[in-house]
Amino acid sequence: MAAPVFIIAASVSAELHQAMIEARGLALTAKNARALAVRAGSKTVGFRAITDFIEELASAIISQSRVINHHAEKLSTQAVTAWHSDNAMAQFRWVEAQKPEYLASISPHINQCDKQLNALNHELQIGLRDLIGQIDESYKHIRTANLIATSSHVEAATAGDFREQLEVIADNIRKTADRIAAHLNRANSLLSQNHRERKIAC
Amino acid sequence: MLATVLYEDGDHRWTMFARDPGKPDGIIDTNQYLIQSGDEAILLDPGGIELFAPMLTSVLKYVPAEGITKLFASHQDPDIISSLGLWDQALPNADLYSPWLWESFIRHFGMNNITYKAIPDEGMTITLGRIQLQFIPAHYLHSSGNFHVWDAKAGILMSGDVGAALEEPGAPLWVDSMERHGPKMKKFHQRWMPSDAAKHDWIRRVSALDIKIMAPQHGRLFKPPHVADFLRWFDQLPVGVAIKG
Repeated sequence: MAAPVFIIAASVSAELHQAMIEARGLALTAKNARALAVRAGSKTVGFRAITDFIEELASAIISQSRVINHHAEKLSTQAVTAWHSDNAMAQFRWVEAQKPEYLASISPHINQCDKQLNALNHELQIGLRDLIGQIDESYKHIRTANLIATSSHVEAATAGDFREQLEVIADNIRKTADRIAAHLNRANSLLSQNHRERKIAC
Repeated sequence: MLATVLYEDGDHRWTMFARDPGKPDGIIDTNQYLIQSGDEAILLDPGGIELFAPMLTSVLKYVPAEGITKLFASHQDPDIISSLGLWDQALPNADLYSPWLWESFIRHFGMNNITYKAIPDEGMTITLGRIQLQFIPAHYLHSSGNFHVWDAKAGILMSGDVGAALEEPGAPLWVDSMERHGPKMKKFHQRWMPSDAAKHDWIRRVSALDIKIMAPQHGRLFKPPHVADFLRWFDQLPVGVAIKG
């Protein structure tokens, strides 16, 4: 059985929060790289330029993770409301089947609840689709991070005494990118599974 | 859900809903009350989520939804009002009367449409159709913000957890002997009620009322002479017994 959407959305939010923490680590790596590049002087001019990219990248990932995190949280709240309405509808259906004398008096509220549930489910579908799109967009940053890591390795090769330290930084960038990618993959997998199961259910 | 009319005088009627045969095991049985007068009705302690559907079905046998203009929750417990989020969808225009103390807690059960009417500590009187209902303080019996409902015209006191007993399914509706019923209430009152001072104060005030029916939220109901018997029994019962030393 598929996990309820509010749990999936909350889990996605948690994954993106972790991705944001990793990106903060990346920003710190960029600062270390800049300090090292200053100390290394003319041998690391190329590397110094790369540190700007790393900082921009970290900032972009943090900002995008924040947006997705917020979106997922909002979606989770909406899903809880939908779950409540769904629960209310199940109870109302039971009441309808009993045919109490004044059933007609409650019908407008049942219809209103049904309408609200349909609207919420529609919003949820759109919200989930948007969330998948935003996560897909985040993969671009991972590809950029890997490119930067490769360039950093190339630049490190010409940095003489600083080669080893710069290679550590380049490795850090790649490892951080991998960890962020893992969080995105988990978020994507949660959403894709739900999306697939909702399609099958439809 | 079994419905029993406790009082009827023209359009003034008290109906009790309880002993739901479909109630899941492990959930305490509760008495819910509907008071009708004129075109209005109030539902007292409407119950938990698990009871919502049978309760709504039962109530709609007596009154149309638009007639239920008021809800009352004596305190914040889940068996009293955890169904609020569902009543909120069924009766969006209703008012909920409940202790001011619990407003921000009770809202956790979900309340987007119903209006919360906070009852002040000293209680209040409301008009329902052609009658007046009094919310009388019963703080610390057991909840720290707690009210009972007094209908002077019918002579019925809805006494919340006071007088409650945890009984087997199929127990009779009315107390027929305090000697036999007392032991069924003893543990509940001793453990749930925290304050002898609150108990004595409540007994003093309630003794001045001409009670024809005392209707608790669990278990059997009391008629004279068992109302007075109960007050005497409760008066001498030490409460708050979980405090050692």
